[in-house]
Amino acid sequence: MLKIKNLKADIENKSILNNFNLEIKPGEVHAIMGPNGSGKSTLSNILSGKKGYDVSGEILFENKNIFELETEERAHKGIFLAFQYPLEIPGVNTNIFLKTSLNAIRKARGEKELDAIEFLKLVKLKARELKFDEDKLNRQLNVGFSGGEKKKNEILQMSILNPKLSILDETDSGLDIDALKIVADGVNSLRKNDNSFLIITHYQRLLDYIKPDYVHVLMNGKIIKSGGPELALELEKKGYENFN
Amino acid sequence: MREKQIDKLKDYKYGFTTDIENIRAPKGLNKEVIEFISKAKKEPKWMLDWRMKAFERLKNLKEPNWQKPKYPKIDYQDIYYYSAPKSASEKPKTIDELDPKLLETYKKLGIPLQEQQRLNGIAVDAVFDSVSVATTFKDKLNEVGVIFCSISEAIQKHPELVKKYIGSVIPLTDHYFATLNSAVFTDGSFVYIPPGVRCPMELSTYFRINASQTGQFERTLIIADKGSYVSYLEGCTAPMRDENQLHAANVELIALDDAEIKYSTVQNWYPGDEEGKGGIYNFVTKRGLCKGINSKISWTQVETGSAITWKYPSCILQGDNSVGEFYSIAITNNYQKADTGTKMIHLGKNTKSKIISKGISAGFSDMTYRGLVDISSKAKNSTNYTQCDSLLMGNKCGAHTVPYIKNKNPESNIAHEATTSKISEEQLHYCQQRGLNPEEAVGLIVNGFCKEVLQQLPMEFAVEAQKLVGISLEGSVG
Amino acid sequence: MEEQLKIDFEKLLEKSNFSKKNVEIKRENFENFIEKGFPNRKEENWKFSDINQIISKNIKNLSFYNDLSKPNKIDKSIFIDGLEHNKLVFVNGRIEKIEFDYEEKNKIEMLDDLVLEKSNKINNSLLFLNNAFVSKYFKLIVKKNYSLKKPLIIYNITNKDLISKNINLKLDILLEENSSLKLIEFSNDKSITNFINMNYNFDIQNNSVLKNYKIDNNSNNNVKYSFSNINQDSNSVAEIFLLSSGSEFIKNEINCSLNGKYASAFVNGVFILDKTKHHEIKTNINHLVENTKSYQLIKGVLEATSKAVYQGKIFVDSKAQKTDGYQLSKAILLNEDTEFNAKPELEIYADDVKCSHGSASGSLNEDSIFYLMTRGLNYQEAKKLLINGFLLDVVEKITDPEIKNLIKTFMSLKQ
Repeated sequence: MLKIKNLKADIENKSILNNFNLEIKPGEVHAIMGPNGSGKSTLSNILSGKKGYDVSGEILFENKNIFELETEERAHKGIFLAFQYPLEIPGVNTNIFLKTSLNAIRKARGEKELDAIEFLKLVKLKARELKFDEDKLNRQLNVGFSGGEKKKNEILQMSILNPKLSILDETDSGLDIDALKIVADGVNSLRKNDNSFLIITHYQRLLDYIKPDYVHVLMNGKIIKSGGPELALELEKKGYENFN
Repeated sequence: MREKQIDKLKDYKYGFTTDIENIRAPKGLNKEVIEFISKAKKEPKWMLDWRMKAFERLKNLKEPNWQKPKYPKIDYQDIYYYSAPKSASEKPKTIDELDPKLLETYKKLGIPLQEQQRLNGIAVDAVFDSVSVATTFKDKLNEVGVIFCSISEAIQKHPELVKKYIGSVIPLTDHYFATLNSAVFTDGSFVYIPPGVRCPMELSTYFRINASQTGQFERTLIIADKGSYVSYLEGCTAPMRDENQLHAANVELIALDDAEIKYSTVQNWYPGDEEGKGGIYNFVTKRGLCKGINSKISWTQVETGSAITWKYPSCILQGDNSVGEFYSIAITNNYQKADTGTKMIHLGKNTKSKIISKGISAGFSDMTYRGLVDISSKAKNSTNYTQCDSLLMGNKCGAHTVPYIKNKNPESNIAHEATTSKISEEQLHYCQQRGLNPEEAVGLIVNGFCKEVLQQLPMEFAVEAQKLVGISLEGSVG
Repeated sequence: MEEQLKIDFEKLLEKSNFSKKNVEIKRENFENFIEKGFPNRKEENWKFSDINQIISKNIKNLSFYNDLSKPNKIDKSIFIDGLEHNKLVFVNGRIEKIEFDYEEKNKIEMLDDLVLEKSNKINNSLLFLNNAFVSKYFKLIVKKNYSLKKPLIIYNITNKDLISKNINLKLDILLEENSSLKLIEFSNDKSITNFINMNYNFDIQNNSVLKNYKIDNNSNNNVKYSFSNINQDSNSVAEIFLLSSGSEFIKNEINCSLNGKYASAFVNGVFILDKTKHHEIKTNINHLVENTKSYQLIKGVLEATSKAVYQGKIFVDSKAQKTDGYQLSKAILLNEDTEFNAKPELEIYADDVKCSHGSASGSLNEDSIFYLMTRGLNYQEAKKLLINGFLLDVVEKITDPEIKNLIKTFMSLKQ
C-alpha cells in the first residue's frame, strides 16, 4: 500500500529525515516510535503533503508516486492524518465541516455525494460507536473542545471518511486512560484486511490497546531497528538513550 | 509542487447585458433633465419642486473627501440620469405582459419572478436601470393593507405618506450624494406596513444597472407603523463594463412605536477586473429612524461587489427603548476598496445598539471599517456593543479600523472590541488533509469567520451569500 | 492675534542672537504658523479637542515674546523628596539648573545650540509655533553603554509672574547603543492661563531603554500641549507612563516608530479629572519592521464636567510581519456631565500579525459597590476602593519599583 524509499527531508537546510525507508502492506498496522526531535511529526507532515520541506526520494501509494500530489488529492486517494494538535476553526460547525469534507472526497472518487439526511444518519451511527457526544457535532470545530475530545473527534472523522491508510500522529498524547481506550477501540474496529495504519508515538502505552504488526524505532531521522510488538516493550524498559 | 494553476480569470457570474431598447434622458445634470425625469414619472408638482430644491442646494455642496478610498473625479455631466427599457414605459399590468427578455434577465439573476411568486412566497420588486418593472404578490399584500410598490407609483397613489416621510431621515441637504439622489432619483421601492400588521412575507427588491454610462439613483422608503414588522431584502448586480458607473441610492427607514424593520442587502455590483478596471462606485446613504418607543431597526449587509463601496447604514435611536443593529460582512479582492460601517446615534433612554462587522481583504484591496457610536447625555441607561474583526489574506492588502466612540452619559455603557487575524497555514493544511482544495478550505474558514452575520440573513439569502463569500475570494490563495 | 504674533516674533529675533541658519528656519516656521494658525476641530487630529477654541476661551491677550534675560528664583520646596535624582529645571520657560551630580561626567553631554529641523518635514502647526518661538533648543546625549545611575527629573515650573504667555520648550534626547535613562517630567504651576507647548524628540538606539514618566498632577489653569516623537532601533524599549490630571487642558501626543526588529513600546496612562478639565492622549504607534511589539493601556476616571479623549492608532506596515499590537482604553464616568471619547484605530497592511483593541466606558458597577457594602464599607469607601483598583491596574505596569511607589503616592494609591 505504502512504500517509502530513500526519503530525505530538510527544513531550512537542517536535515530532519535521511535515508528513511518503510513499506506497509494492506491490512498491516505499523508503529513508529521515537524520542522528541527524531523526525516523527515531519514524517506525518510529509506523508500528508504539508509544504515547507525540501524533500527527495520516493513515496509510493498504491504503486503511484504521490510526491506531486496536493494535500487534498492525497486525502482523496485515502490517506488520513489524525493530527497531533487538531486545529480549531472558529465559526465552522463540526457537522458541516465533516459533510463538506466527506463529499469532497466522494466527489473526487466519483461517488455520489451524500445529502444532509444520509450524512446525519451516518454520523449518528459512527458517533454512537465511538461514544462521541453528538451535541459536540453541532459546535464549532474543535473550539472549546478538551484535548481528549479533539482526539476523539479525529478518530470520528477517520471512521466517517473511511481511509485506506490512517496515520495517527501521537494520538495518545494528552489522553487519559478512558479516552485512550475509546480511541483504541475506534481504531481496532476500523481494522480490516484492506486498511492499514501507521501509528506514530513516543510511548508504548497506546500499543497495549492497539496491537501493531511491526514496530520501528526512529532516531535521528532514520529507522534504526524494526521488529514485532516485543520491540516496543524492550524500548520502554531501556529508554531511548540506551537503545542501540 | 502545485502544477495546476487556479483559474484566476473567473467570470463575474452576473456579467451579462440584456439587449433591450432603452429610452434615455439626454446626458448631463441640469434642470431640463430633472424635469424630464419628473415628467416621465408623471409626478405631481410638489415632487418636482422638491427635486429642484435639492438641485439648487447641490450647487453649494462639495463632494466629501474624508473617506479612505480615493477615486478619479466624476464628470456629472457625462452620465445618463434616466434610462428605461422601452417596453416598460407603458407599464405592464401583470408579470405575463413583461418583455420576455426582461424575464430572461431576471432568470439569469436567479430571480425567476413567476416561480418565486409560486414557490417562495417572497414579494419581489425588480428595478432595472431606472424603473421598477414588476412587483409580484400585490394582491396578497393588499389583503393585509401592506403597500409594496415602486416609489413612482407611491408618489402618485400615496402622496400623503411620501410627502410626510421622504427626506425626514435623510434631509434634502445631508451631503453631496444624498442631495444628488434627491434631485435625480428615478425609481426604487416603497413600503408601508399598517399598524399591528406583521408583513406575511419577505419583501425583496433586485436592482440591476444594465445600460452603459448610466448612473443608478434609486430611492427606497420604508415605513413601519405602530406595532408592525417587516423584513426587506435587497440584491444588486450590474454587467461587466470597462467604465466606472455611479450608484448613489438613498434608503430611508422609519419605525414607529413597537415596530420592527429588518433590512438585508446582498450587494454584488460588478467589482471591476483583476487590474481594477471598471466596476461600480457604490456611494449609498442608508439611514433608519427608530422614531417610536420600543422600535427596532436591524441592518444586515453582505458587501462583496463594487469597485468602491462607501456606505454607513445608520440608526437614529430616538424612541425610548429602541434598538439598532448592524451586521456586516465586507469582502474586497483585487483592487476593490471599501469604506463602510455604521452610525448609532443614541438619543432616547434605554436604547441599545449592537455592531458586528467582519472585514476580509485580499489581493491589493483596501478595507476600512468606520463607525460612530454616540451616546448623548439624555440617553440614560443605554448600551452599545461593537465587535469588529478583520481578516487579511496576503500583505498587499490593507485593513483599517476607525471607530469613533463618544459617551456623554455615565449611566450608559459602551464596549468595543476589534481583532485582526489571518488564515493560518495549519488551518489550511488541516482542511486540505480532509479532502478540501485550498479554495474550498478558504471559503469554509471565511464563512466560519462571518458566521454571526450570515446567521442574521433570511434562509434564501444566506445560502446565496455563503456562495458569494467563496466566489469573491477566488484567486486569492495559491 | 496675528498682529501680536508678528510683533513678538520680530522682538524675539531682535533680542536673541540666533545663528543665521536658525533665523532662516524660524522665519519659515513662523510663516507656516501664520498660515495655518492654531488647529481646530476640522483637523482629524483635533476633532475632539479644538485647541483654537480652548485657547481663546481660557487665555485673554495671549502673547508670545518672553524675556529670558533675567534668572528666576527656584522654589526648592517643590523638588521631589525621597528619590535621589538628577535635575533639569525650567522656570517660566528659562533653563535655571542642569545638574547631573550622580553621573559620570563624560558619559553625558548637553548641547544647547542646535540647528532646528526644516519646516517642510513637519505637518503640525503647533510644532511650527514651537520652532518659531523656542529660545533654546537642547539636546541630551547619553553615551554608549552607559546607564544613568539615578533618574533624571525635568522640572517644568511656572510662577505667578507668568500671565497669558505662550512658552515653548524643545528637547532632544539621544540614547546611544546599550544605554538607559529613566526620565520623569514633572510640572508645577503657580501661574494661570498660559499656553505651554512642549516638544521632545527621542532617539533610542540598539538595545537601549527609555523609561519616561510624564506627571501632570498639580491643579492649574494652564493649557498645554506635549508632543513626543520617538524613534526606536533594534531591541530597544520605550516605556511611557502618563499621569494626566492637573492642568485645565493638556494633550499628550506620542508618535512612536519601531524601526528596528524586536523593538517594543509600552504606553500606559491614567486620566483623573475633575471640574471642567479636558485632557487628551493621542498615540501613533508605527510598526515598520518585523517582530515589533506595542502595548497600550489607558484608563480614566471622570468627575464633574470633565472630558477625556483617547485617540490611539496602531499602524502596521506590509513589511512588519509578526507584529504584536494591543490597545485598551476604559473610562468610568462619575457624573452626568462628563464625557469620554475614544478613537482606537488600526491600520494594517501585513497578514501575519496579532493586533487587537478594545474600548469601554460607563459607570461604576453598582453590584460591586453593593457587594463591598455588605462587607461593611460605606458607599464612599466602596467607591474609592473600586476606583483605586481600576487605576492601580495601570500603575502596576510601571517597571521601576521606586518610581512606581512615587507615582502611587502622587495618586494617593498607597495602601
